[in-house]
Amino acid sequence: MLNPVPDSQPGMDADQTISLTPAAADSPTVYQQPFAVAPAQGAQFAGAAPQQPFVPAPALGSPAPVVSKSVARRKFMGKSLAGLVATGGALAIGGVALGEWLSHGGLNAFTRGPAASEVQIGHLLRRAGFGATSSELDMYRDLGYQGAVDRLIKYQQVDDSALEKRLQALNLNLNAPQDQQRWWLLRMAWTRRPLLEKMTLFWSGVLTSSFRKVGGPRAYIRMINQNNFLRAHAFDTLDNLLLGITADPAMLFYLDLTKSTKAHPNENYARELMELFTVGVQNYTQQDVFAGAAALTGWHIAGVAGSRYNPKDHVTLPVRFMGQTGSFTYKDIVRILANHPATPWFIGRRLFSFFVHENPSTDDLKPLVDAYVQNGHNMGAVMRALLLSPQFSSAQAYRSRLKSPVEFTVGAYRALGLQGDGQGLPAITTLMGQPLFDPPDVSGWPGDKSSASWLNSGSWMTRLNYIDLLLARGTVAGKGKAPIDLQGMINANQLDTPETFVDHFSGFLLDGPLPTERRGQVLDYFTASENASRARITLSNGKAYPLNRVRGALYLLMASPEYQLN
Amino acid sequence: MNLTRRAMMKNGMLVVSAGMAMPAIFSRGVASAMALAREGEGFSQVATDHTLIVVQMAGGNDGLSTIVPFTDPLYKQMRPTLAIPDNKVLHLDTRLGLHPNLQPLKNFWDAGHLAIVEGVGYPNQSLSHFQAMDIWQTLDLTGNGKEGWLGKLVSGLVDEAGHPFKSLDVGSMTAQALRSISAQVPTLSNTKSYALAPDPLDPDRGNARVQALMNLYNSYPKTSPYAALLDATALNAQEGSRALHAAEAAYMPAVTYPQDAFAAGLKILAEAIVQGLGLRVGYVTLGGFDTHANQQDTHDKLMTTLAAGLSAFYSDLTAHGKADNVVVLTWSEFGRRVEENGSQGTDHGTAAPLFVLGNAITRGIFGEPPGLSNLDNNGNLKYTVDFRSVYATVLDRWMGASSQEVLGGSFATQNFLPTP
Repeated sequence: MLNPVPDSQPGMDADQTISLTPAAADSPTVYQQPFAVAPAQGAQFAGAAPQQPFVPAPALGSPAPVVSKSVARRKFMGKSLAGLVATGGALAIGGVALGEWLSHGGLNAFTRGPAASEVQIGHLLRRAGFGATSSELDMYRDLGYQGAVDRLIKYQQVDDSALEKRLQALNLNLNAPQDQQRWWLLRMAWTRRPLLEKMTLFWSGVLTSSFRKVGGPRAYIRMINQNNFLRAHAFDTLDNLLLGITADPAMLFYLDLTKSTKAHPNENYARELMELFTVGVQNYTQQDVFAGAAALTGWHIAGVAGSRYNPKDHVTLPVRFMGQTGSFTYKDIVRILANHPATPWFIGRRLFSFFVHENPSTDDLKPLVDAYVQNGHNMGAVMRALLLSPQFSSAQAYRSRLKSPVEFTVGAYRALGLQGDGQGLPAITTLMGQPLFDPPDVSGWPGDKSSASWLNSGSWMTRLNYIDLLLARGTVAGKGKAPIDLQGMINANQLDTPETFVDHFSGFLLDGPLPTERRGQVLDYFTASENASRARITLSNGKAYPLNRVRGALYLLMASPEYQLN
Repeated sequence: MNLTRRAMMKNGMLVVSAGMAMPAIFSRGVASAMALAREGEGFSQVATDHTLIVVQMAGGNDGLSTIVPFTDPLYKQMRPTLAIPDNKVLHLDTRLGLHPNLQPLKNFWDAGHLAIVEGVGYPNQSLSHFQAMDIWQTLDLTGNGKEGWLGKLVSGLVDEAGHPFKSLDVGSMTAQALRSISAQVPTLSNTKSYALAPDPLDPDRGNARVQALMNLYNSYPKTSPYAALLDATALNAQEGSRALHAAEAAYMPAVTYPQDAFAAGLKILAEAIVQGLGLRVGYVTLGGFDTHANQQDTHDKLMTTLAAGLSAFYSDLTAHGKADNVVVLTWSEFGRRVEENGSQGTDHGTAAPLFVLGNAITRGIFGEPPGLSNLDNNGNLKYTVDFRSVYATVLDRWMGASSQEVLGGSFATQNFLPTP
């Protein structure tokens, strides 16, 4: 405990000024992680919120004294509590067919039709998921665009128990960072609920924590618990997401809220809650940080998986926060921030940049803001508006983002239908700059906002080397595993000529064939006679080709400029 | 600088001449890019072959625990648990001393190779990590800048041969300070993986496949998304990996570097310098300075990592006869609150000291440590030296560049480097 600092003013002593919490409401309630819960869309927050009665914000002009910040604050600062209270680019798509489609109204020309186009569904599944296998693409295309969006959002209607069984069978140690990454990467690669995983990835980049600061190795599991919370509430109201993340043990530790006490509020969580989770840097003051920190006191970690709200350790002195005055609790802070007019614009911008394209205009964001306001802050409604917007399917959105390391790594794994145990995957995304559960700082992944930051010479080589591993070495799939079963793919899809081979893979990897000249370059590589391996592979027409040339052609498709884009 | 990309085949390898590309990522018009390119020509007339190594201390380093005002009673009063006792501080003069774990830096000081610039900040400092980082790196005080100050410097350094290692960022993502619309900065976290692996079955070790790949990049339409960025990246990678692997094979470090990522990064930079890859700007980051709680343990370790890494780096360069040519500059987005918080930590602050290290520097404490009795409304220090004057000094007096052109304004220089 800190000793009182000598220069505090008489009458500003914390013990005297701050009244104890009323006895009626002071039995602490324990918050437990609701990670096993997968509530229906729009369900109320299932996080066993503390039981004490909700206290509405006192009316303005409440008789309780409101200390306001003054230039002479340094004196107050001696008592930290007193101090606290006092205070894209042009578009040209490869492929003649694609070019024609886009020149006739972009992808939108196909939105209303009964069958969605290959391009449009490819785009949807990359953005709202992690790409797809050939057969998955066919299935979604048959649903039509609206039907596909429906299936993605109403994820509860899709059975994903096979995924859970497969993950369970791997016997991963969910308290070990490497295994945690494998667990999530494989989940993204194998899930039949791709948008749910994509949304969880989005939230984990906004409401961020890192395993490096959640209470040490014995508490690493907190990252998985947090991840499960974000998954369970991915389409819930923003209010419930914020209430849950405020009480989340990983977050309590990561942004020091568990260290924040009635006597000594800690500013860290209060600041980032405003700057990075809700209103953005222009829309709060240091005064709001002081006040918010005081109002957010009371939450502490309880055991590895739990957290606990203790009203006795909560500052009850009125504070002035975001223009409102009252004796606020964390619920009031979340309510005020979720209702702040800047919040839907801020979250909308994050969503739009991540799912559609960067640098959205006010007009681009307005429908998302409206959906937020009109649907009680429900994020599922916002996502539906986003996926059905003309902007989402516009030429401006198409291939307007670099694939993130996770999108690239998982995307290739998923599209090629790889099984294995994903042992090599964490090292790959780490080398590219995206180790899951360990973002560089509390602002999440820089590439979520500006995807070009994902690409540099080092990360580019790692991408290509990963493709080489998948196709020619096989170590990523798991120890001693063979590379992908190319012969099996050739047989299953009746790939009988170099042309059908290249077009088949271009179809689901690149939304269709490359333009003639560039398709020719890949075919030339396929059919060249020099530098041929002795190992051969046989096409369905019975003709054998050098294995290195055949898989080299597939490597070229996945190393191509187009494949780096999302 | 020529904006049309001119690629040609030489000995089966694709090489590119000057002024490669205008990355499409930055949605600016061609006109402004050309203006920038012309600007680039202005400060590419560099007079020296000096190297600058920039060390980012990410998270907001606590200046008062780094350069300790050990005689100030307010320091002890406001840091009841965190104040470092007099007898542990490594005294530099009668009022300031180094953190106890900075003995290697004290050795530099004693040898006359360390300068400290005190009270570095800027008007109306931001307490947001990200806005503050943006400001330090792009010099846009609104925090909306896109291009980094080192990126501007480096883009002026693209030479006819298109040397890939004029600049090098150790890490998985290029720092904002190095962002530029006309130059690509090689970025890597280790030298081993900085190469394209061939298919093990390729009899020619992957040459034909790489050539086909480069052709595929070359024929990617220039108006397509990210065309220039992808193109520049591919070429930069190709060129750079060969040079780096040749260097790797020849380089023998003269010291044993500590076993941490920061020291490993410095070692890569030393390799580039020792092997003459033409490095002018190197960048490496040490993170973890956001010490809101239990600061002492974390900060003590970081000080050790910083000093031990820099010491190994400097010794290695000295042993290879390269130390005279290199200056190291550290920075952090802000210092921390003067009064400690209730979690034995400190919240976001403002002005802080930074280090400049090298044989060429003039030893001393420059600028004035801000008074602890004269704080701003939030209990933070008032800056005494504008960070841009530190940059200006390094640019004008060490890099032989025009600080006016890089910084877009005129800033007084400091005397930690002599006038050339």
